[in-house]
Amino acid sequence: MAIVAIIFLLGGFFFTFVAALGVIRLPDFYSRLHASGKCETLGMVLSFLGLAIYEGFTLTALKLFFIVIFIFIANPTGTHILSRAAYRSGIKPWTRKGE
Amino acid sequence: MSSKRSKEITASELRHSFVLFILLFAFWVILSGHLDLKHLSIGFVSAVVITIITRPLMHMSSTSEPQKTYFAFDFPYFRYIAYWPWLLWQIVKANIEIALVILNPNLPINPQIITFRKKMSNPHAHVVLANSITLTPGTVTVDVKDDLYLVHALTDSAAKGLVPEDGEAEMLTKVSSVFGEECARTGSEVSA
Repeated sequence: MAIVAIIFLLGGFFFTFVAALGVIRLPDFYSRLHASGKCETLGMVLSFLGLAIYEGFTLTALKLFFIVIFIFIANPTGTHILSRAAYRSGIKPWTRKGE
Repeated sequence: MSSKRSKEITASELRHSFVLFILLFAFWVILSGHLDLKHLSIGFVSAVVITIITRPLMHMSSTSEPQKTYFAFDFPYFRYIAYWPWLLWQIVKANIEIALVILNPNLPINPQIITFRKKMSNPHAHVVLANSITLTPGTVTVDVKDDLYLVHALTDSAAKGLVPEDGEAEMLTKVSSVFGEECARTGSEVSA
């Protein structure tokens, strides 16, 4: 059980790290949202699942699982609201052509 | 309002209220962790009160069919749950793809805005589709106006996955079949 939990936690760390790296490397607001909004979702979900597996079948694990479901619903919603606000305030997306 | 239609709405509303009550009560029991009469009865009363006072907030009118009203918690639950494993697998697959793109020293990205139309009657279906698009890495739903989707795609393959050259993307077909929408009425348009 502990080994499976460690694999999940390491996967979570990896994707959170990639998300942070993506925020630094990508060129503009919209593409940075991709990194922070999604890689981080999977990173956090994997971390919480790892903790839930480590905890075993208890009430705490069930509560952690609830956090996972909330992240899955709330994180895309937040990302969508940020990108829509940026689009409405007139930020132009970066493209290869207009480099 | 005809009596036939109000009857339909009542059935939908009953299902909605029942499911919302069960969800709230189950949530209470899991968070409290106590199974004695005092805690259970407090939870029961709060679940009933919340179900009643949030009733006016849970109406959603359809964008394409204005005469129809949907309730927030009245949707095909089992087909929706059956959709989740497929979505999770897509998320993992696409996440690895994006991680490879970010870790690639050349940063092979080609950000673009793509638009497409997807006619669906149930607003819940639009929410699920927009949420799924944002969850799948490489695409973010920027805006939804009625049935016009504005999506920011990070790479060419992410854009192609959502708006293929022929036919409809798998995700769109899946979501509309979850909500029992007619696939014949839909048509996707591509523009740069």
